[in-house]
Amino acid sequence: MTYVLNRLLSLAITLLLISVITFVVTNILPGDVAMMIMGTQSNPEALAGLRESLGLNDPLIVQYGRWIGGMLTGDWGTSLVFKEPIGPLLLQKMTASSLIVVMSMTIALTAAVPLGIWAAVHRDRWQDTASSTTALLGVSLPDFFWGIMLILLFARTLGWLPSSGFVDPSENFVLALKHAFLPSLALGLGLMAHLTRMTRATMTGILGQEFIRVARAKGLSERTVVWRYGLSNAVGPVMTVAGLQIGYLFGSIIVIESLFNYTGMGWLTYQALLNRDIPLIQSSVFVIAAVVMLANLIVDLMYVLVDPRIRLG
Amino acid sequence: MKRRDFLKSTSAVVGGTILYSAVPALAQSTPVSGGTLIWGHSETTQNLDMHQTGTASTGRVLQNVHSSIVTVDKDLNVIPNLAESFDLSEDGLVYTFKLRSGVKFHDGSDMTSADVKYSFERCKDPATGAVNFEVFNAVESIETPDDLTVIVTLNSINAPFLSRLAENGAGVIMPEGSGEVQGTTPIGAGPFKFVRREFGNEVELARFDEYWEGPAYLEKIMIREITEPTVRLTGLRTGELHMINDIPADRMAEIKEDPAYQVITWFPLNWDFLNMNHDFEPFKDARVRKAFDLMIDKEALLEGALWGEGAVTASPSYPTSASYNHDLVQRPQDFEQARALLSEAGYGPGELKVVFKVTTNYPYHVEAAQIMLEWFREGGVDMSIEQLTWSDWLSQVWVDKDFQISMMNFFTLWEPDFLYYSLWNTTGAFNYRKISDPVIDELTEKARVTVDPDARADIYKAVQQRVFDETHDVYLWFRNGSIGAQPSVGGLDTVVHPNGSNLNFHKVWLNA
Amino acid sequence: MKSFFTSKGIIGIVLVTGVVLVAIFAPLIIPAEFATKMNMRARLDPPSMDYLFGTDQLGRDLFYRVMLGARTSVMIAVSAVVMSVVIGLPLGIISGYYGGVTDNLLMRLVDTLLSFPVLLLALTISAVLGPNLQNTIIAIGIAFTPFLARIIRGEALRIAQMPYVEAARAAGTTDLMMILRHILPNIMPPVIVQATISLAFAILAEAGLSFLGLGTQPPRASWGLMIQASRDYLDVAPWTALVPGAAVALTVLGLNMFGDVLRDALDPRSRSGG
Repeated sequence: MTYVLNRLLSLAITLLLISVITFVVTNILPGDVAMMIMGTQSNPEALAGLRESLGLNDPLIVQYGRWIGGMLTGDWGTSLVFKEPIGPLLLQKMTASSLIVVMSMTIALTAAVPLGIWAAVHRDRWQDTASSTTALLGVSLPDFFWGIMLILLFARTLGWLPSSGFVDPSENFVLALKHAFLPSLALGLGLMAHLTRMTRATMTGILGQEFIRVARAKGLSERTVVWRYGLSNAVGPVMTVAGLQIGYLFGSIIVIESLFNYTGMGWLTYQALLNRDIPLIQSSVFVIAAVVMLANLIVDLMYVLVDPRIRLG
Repeated sequence: MKRRDFLKSTSAVVGGTILYSAVPALAQSTPVSGGTLIWGHSETTQNLDMHQTGTASTGRVLQNVHSSIVTVDKDLNVIPNLAESFDLSEDGLVYTFKLRSGVKFHDGSDMTSADVKYSFERCKDPATGAVNFEVFNAVESIETPDDLTVIVTLNSINAPFLSRLAENGAGVIMPEGSGEVQGTTPIGAGPFKFVRREFGNEVELARFDEYWEGPAYLEKIMIREITEPTVRLTGLRTGELHMINDIPADRMAEIKEDPAYQVITWFPLNWDFLNMNHDFEPFKDARVRKAFDLMIDKEALLEGALWGEGAVTASPSYPTSASYNHDLVQRPQDFEQARALLSEAGYGPGELKVVFKVTTNYPYHVEAAQIMLEWFREGGVDMSIEQLTWSDWLSQVWVDKDFQISMMNFFTLWEPDFLYYSLWNTTGAFNYRKISDPVIDELTEKARVTVDPDARADIYKAVQQRVFDETHDVYLWFRNGSIGAQPSVGGLDTVVHPNGSNLNFHKVWLNA
Repeated sequence: MKSFFTSKGIIGIVLVTGVVLVAIFAPLIIPAEFATKMNMRARLDPPSMDYLFGTDQLGRDLFYRVMLGARTSVMIAVSAVVMSVVIGLPLGIISGYYGGVTDNLLMRLVDTLLSFPVLLLALTISAVLGPNLQNTIIAIGIAFTPFLARIIRGEALRIAQMPYVEAARAAGTTDLMMILRHILPNIMPPVIVQATISLAFAILAEAGLSFLGLGTQPPRASWGLMIQASRDYLDVAPWTALVPGAAVALTVLGLNMFGDVLRDALDPRSRSGG
């Protein structure tokens, strides 16, 4: 019980720290959102008027307080550039990105686990090398590179899938999936490579252990040994590693979403940064960091559940 | 001079025409009602408030949602729009507008003079943060003696006033009191209603059946914001999009030859020029500035950066405008003379170092800068490039005026006062190069109050000559605008607004 | 040592050595102008006898650009990783060795920073500082530091608890000597392994940042910038992307392979990957 409470307290403190870091970094960004809004049609008077109306002249502490207070009461402010309330915007964009993250994770695991096991079982033989090399290759190219290749192949040449855009899943689920597929695949390829190596390493470790030898000695078929005993033990560690990749994924979506014009959190954050849209930058960076932190926390907890031998803390 | 003549002629000063290249006769058919046009737009929209938005992209979209009190025809003459007639007093200070009756806004209300008064005052009010508020600086009062009459009284003659009202930025008419919502749900009197915006992704417009000029053919327009040129073009090729604007310059030749698509190009979309900061010591010397001009081969640069999609020019006035100075010819590339000028000014080979701040907002600027770097090196100037995001460029170059050499483009500045005063007058709002030339100041002030159109045109020609002689900036070119569309899209010859940037879909239709 | 002679090891070493050699010597052999010279008549030309790897949109020779680009990309990656080690090493050691409140505070901070995806962190720092070469290095360096610090701290903690270390402490060795004599030498192997792997990520990070316009400045050639520039020309001139892409892939591949065998060699207890 105390463990849970401790973690919750820890959580709150970390969230607070995240908010402070986010706020500080956002507000030391050079450049000014009023200018971004007016562009080359601006002149000093108009700018001053706009700045005032946007509340940009208040002292920093006040702005921070306003932001935190607003978040706690459910008012996440309004985007200065797009004039949209940030709360619903974040919700929608978060859903969009989560769709990609989940899809890419699924794609990656579905391919990586069998591949990794295959490599582990045929360790040091050609299957292992082949799988290793493919995996390494996948991990060695930037994911936006894969994205570019996929656009060329699937959208341009084959015409099977749309090359850009985003559809809200609540409106049209199938179409949403179609638009999410290529970005997810681009992300998933790199991820799959990494997870294949992980699975292979984990399985190798497990298959070398005592209880596996015992099982084999008992006369159980290789298939049962590998799949029943090996896999079930590998699942835990592989899942945790996969979970920890969520942080990396949320970073990669910035590039991938921009490439595919898939308007999710990554795209939103990047646009906000470019536009110096301070309330939007603050909120979206905060949300991303919070989500990653929560994901890591869940993974930690799962790890404890999965492997009770680990000492807590 | 008669009042009527004055009105007609003030605008004739700014005459200009959009030049079309050949349109394949695939869509010469009778208009059909219905259908949803999907347009791949090259830029994202931002603030939808017509008064507050400064971006050409948003203006382009809102052209379909809003109407202005007057507008321009293809020769850039001011003609009636929401006002069915307009008049100017003898002394040039009182404008009387007679509004059309029966004009409806999207919210169902009728347009009256109260709406006009509201819109103008909102624009003028500094609290609104309107980009074009200075248009109304000379306005002393706005009266509305009856529902369909508006009288605007100025306290000084302002020759460009009427022309400025032909653009939505200043002349848009919004329903009274709608200011609060304009940023998120624009309400106007245009041919299409704003339905929704899927942020950063698409904007949906629907036909407004009560549009005063008659309903549009298209039932809906979906504007998909696709900034990636390759992706946009792919969208056209796969049929996902009915039309796109801004075809990537390097693919232009290929698309034009493809019989499967209609291509329209026009110019100008905008014009580009090279800027030298007059506060930077070396650039205070006109010889140095001229040397830089001489190091650039404009035709080659156009070919290199834009694949030739445009036309070089020595003047930023619209090409068929009466104020365009045809006597000016760009200086050809001449390294010998450039080096001579530089050493005369005291800069031997390799002694002058400049930093070129260029923005990634316009990728072709980055290419141009790299090309110019090579030329400047040959001329003995050591140049380095600093690539800035749009935000940083605006912040450093535009606002802080902290730069040495840069380049920029401008859209829709067809009105010569707006163009020349803002950019080259010492107090001009767009004078980020810190140019202060008493000759130009005098000329631009004089033009502002000169009513005779020929005299006015001559003054602006003199301004252009002066800018050229002193090489205050180096003009580069006009850039082409382009639209690529499926054969099923009809009426594309009506879609480009005379200002070269906005697109209006009122008379566009979609064949089944 | 045996692990170095597997096929993976050999390939890894060959690739890494190759890239390092190119990075060091190419700029000495190839004049800088070769990479920036434009030929407007040969824009987006496919690979040919004149242009081994083809040309880019301004008619520049991709072969020379990718060779000279090696130095930029490698230098950025190495500097960034060195920076993250220089900051992360003292942080991690102090945290792991002294433990207690210091450890708690520092690790709390590090954990918070770890919640920010690395690319996001680098992007934001780059936006704050302004995009140029030094700032790209700083941005990536700072973004990588938390991860490195955490690993170093874990190692320092583990080593500090070893019996011989305890004994040395009991014998009265000063903290500074402890750290220099016992902790540091033992911590270097895993740090080197981690640094090698981080190098691979740093190259990818530079590519990503340049892709978003916040990395290297033109006309300097870096692989990331070359990939970014190729974006608009992919369907007509795919080699403009494939050439730098292959360079990145081979380098990162080599580093990953090399890192793997390094880990097997230096750290036989290797925890399940990661």
